[in-house]
Amino acid sequence: MSTLQFLMDGFGVAFQWQNILFAFVGVLIGTAVGVLPGIGPMSGVALLIPVTATLTAGLPPEAAAASSIILLAGVYYGAMYGGSTTSILLNTPGESSSVVTTLDGYQMARQGRAGAALSIAAIGSFAAGIISLIGLVLLAKPLSNIALEFGPAEYFSLMLLGLAAVSGLAGKSMTKALMMTVFGLMLGTIGIDAVSGIARFTYDLPILYSGLEFLTIAVGLFALGEVFKTVLERDQEEGAIAKIGRILPTKQDLKDSTVPILRGSFLGFFIGVLPGAGATLASFFSYITEKKFSKTPEKFGTGAIAGVAGPESANNAASGGALIPLLTLGIPGSGTTAILMGALIMYNIQPGPLLFDDHPEVAWGLIASMFVGNLMLLVLNMPLVKVFAKIIQTPKKYLLPIIIAISFFGVYAVQYTTFDLYLLLACGVLGYLLVRNDFPVAPLVLALVLGPMIENNMRRALTISNGDFSIFATKPISLVLLIVAAAWLLVPLLLKFKGRAIIVNEED
Amino acid sequence: MSKTFDRFAGITFLLIGLLFVLESRKISESSYGSEVGPDIFPIGLGILLILLSARLIYETFRYQVNQGEMEKVQYGKFIVLFVSAVLYAALLEPLGYVITTFLFLVIAFQTMERGKWIQTLVIASVFSFGVYYLFAEFLGGSLPGFPVF
Repeated sequence: MSTLQFLMDGFGVAFQWQNILFAFVGVLIGTAVGVLPGIGPMSGVALLIPVTATLTAGLPPEAAAASSIILLAGVYYGAMYGGSTTSILLNTPGESSSVVTTLDGYQMARQGRAGAALSIAAIGSFAAGIISLIGLVLLAKPLSNIALEFGPAEYFSLMLLGLAAVSGLAGKSMTKALMMTVFGLMLGTIGIDAVSGIARFTYDLPILYSGLEFLTIAVGLFALGEVFKTVLERDQEEGAIAKIGRILPTKQDLKDSTVPILRGSFLGFFIGVLPGAGATLASFFSYITEKKFSKTPEKFGTGAIAGVAGPESANNAASGGALIPLLTLGIPGSGTTAILMGALIMYNIQPGPLLFDDHPEVAWGLIASMFVGNLMLLVLNMPLVKVFAKIIQTPKKYLLPIIIAISFFGVYAVQYTTFDLYLLLACGVLGYLLVRNDFPVAPLVLALVLGPMIENNMRRALTISNGDFSIFATKPISLVLLIVAAAWLLVPLLLKFKGRAIIVNEED
Repeated sequence: MSKTFDRFAGITFLLIGLLFVLESRKISESSYGSEVGPDIFPIGLGILLILLSARLIYETFRYQVNQGEMEKVQYGKFIVLFVSAVLYAALLEPLGYVITTFLFLVIAFQTMERGKWIQTLVIASVFSFGVYYLFAEFLGGSLPGFPVF
């Protein structure tokens, strides 16, 4: 069957009534998550996994997986839309990939052009979403065909590359990022070893035999960590929200932002495909590029619409691009995609080159639903942007306890053990302490997801080679991947050594 | 960034790495004849973590600290919230979801800000009853609803 045929089947899945509903709920919650400062896409997706798991409990496994991933991905790209709202209206980004939007977006709002800024952000995000989806459709099949040639050695090296990329770009200190990666891999070894059936680090506690639940750790580190941070360091109350005014952009606005939107979309998409470089980096690069190409660079920072259109398109395109390594290679390139991958694995669906052959319903259903979801987001964000702006005013005193209660419900409803609730709380405190001291937690979660797969592939490769470690260096593809992985870690170090400032990717 | 925390973390992770290596040595040999048993990977990780932690401790002696940016921390509210969350976890099974969630939310809302009792009670009861009935009755999930006598 051709790609087009698969895509049509995917639309068949996406247009089932429950999946339309799921996509709608996903993008709606996603927009809210993006608007609310304090909950990023990562904790938003992590919090919703248990909820979707129960919602889809009655469906057959494959349909349940398709529906859940449709909802969760909706939260992911929906948050990219919502993040711009607070940046523009309040000068506080709702999530890290909208930081640059504050530069020109808030200035526009102060000049009474908030509506135009918001709608350009929504239009740009929509265009970017569609462009990155077309890229995803075109690249999915060829990439997964290449990946089918991979043996265990290549997979091992590829996953090392993924981890290296995320660690190399995360946070201020690479030592700390690498420590978190190794610690995550260690946590992943707890439980019964899948190859030999031997229990490791369980100390005869039955609860540990199945390993630490990835979901509990992710929700604890991200969602609770963030809640504890806000409770402990109560930041000052936000300032006044700018008036939105006229929503539709003028013709001049549209003309000024068409090229930045297209440029931002392509740039963002390719940055998103690279592992480790996520939406935040994409939006920064787009801003710099727009400033460079602009005829009036001095206007940037004083309310140039190109400074909103470019970055907002780029971060949305990047979130689409980030799905490519996840779906085709089975390697998540960022914290949020790691969580999406964890969700797929929960449904016993292994992302990777075989996904498109084994579970076309899930893969193409997701892709098609993203077309639908992006359309819904455009409709939601243009006329309803005033409603979403109200969400910003949700008082923290109600929001924070409810986030704790939702995490408790979510973890307990999936795990049915009090042990996981204690683990959740412990991870919350740990997450707060680690993030406060510049230990990035995204590599930890990524490593926890990839850990068992890395180990299995390593041991399968070593079994093939009779314990000879040179197998990783003699297979050409594996060698290339390892060299790239090493370069990813060494180049920033070299640049730092030379005294160059490097851009680091905040968690997204 | 705080030097003390970094040193403390460095030492803690160093010990974790050491413990991991030592404990990995106790994992029994592989039974199915492969040369790479279940202990190789954890041992490697333990050694890596030891090296990285040593590097971090070394780094703490090198960098300059720019103190003063740390925000003030409010321990009071956090401790009340955390202790009630621990109690929430402990009592969830014996007392059931509805009662514990309601109590937790009431305490937490009032800890965050005193007053507005009516709003507090309404939101807490809507959430606890709402989630329980939506989940247990409507979706057919299983949650311990009320205490079993």
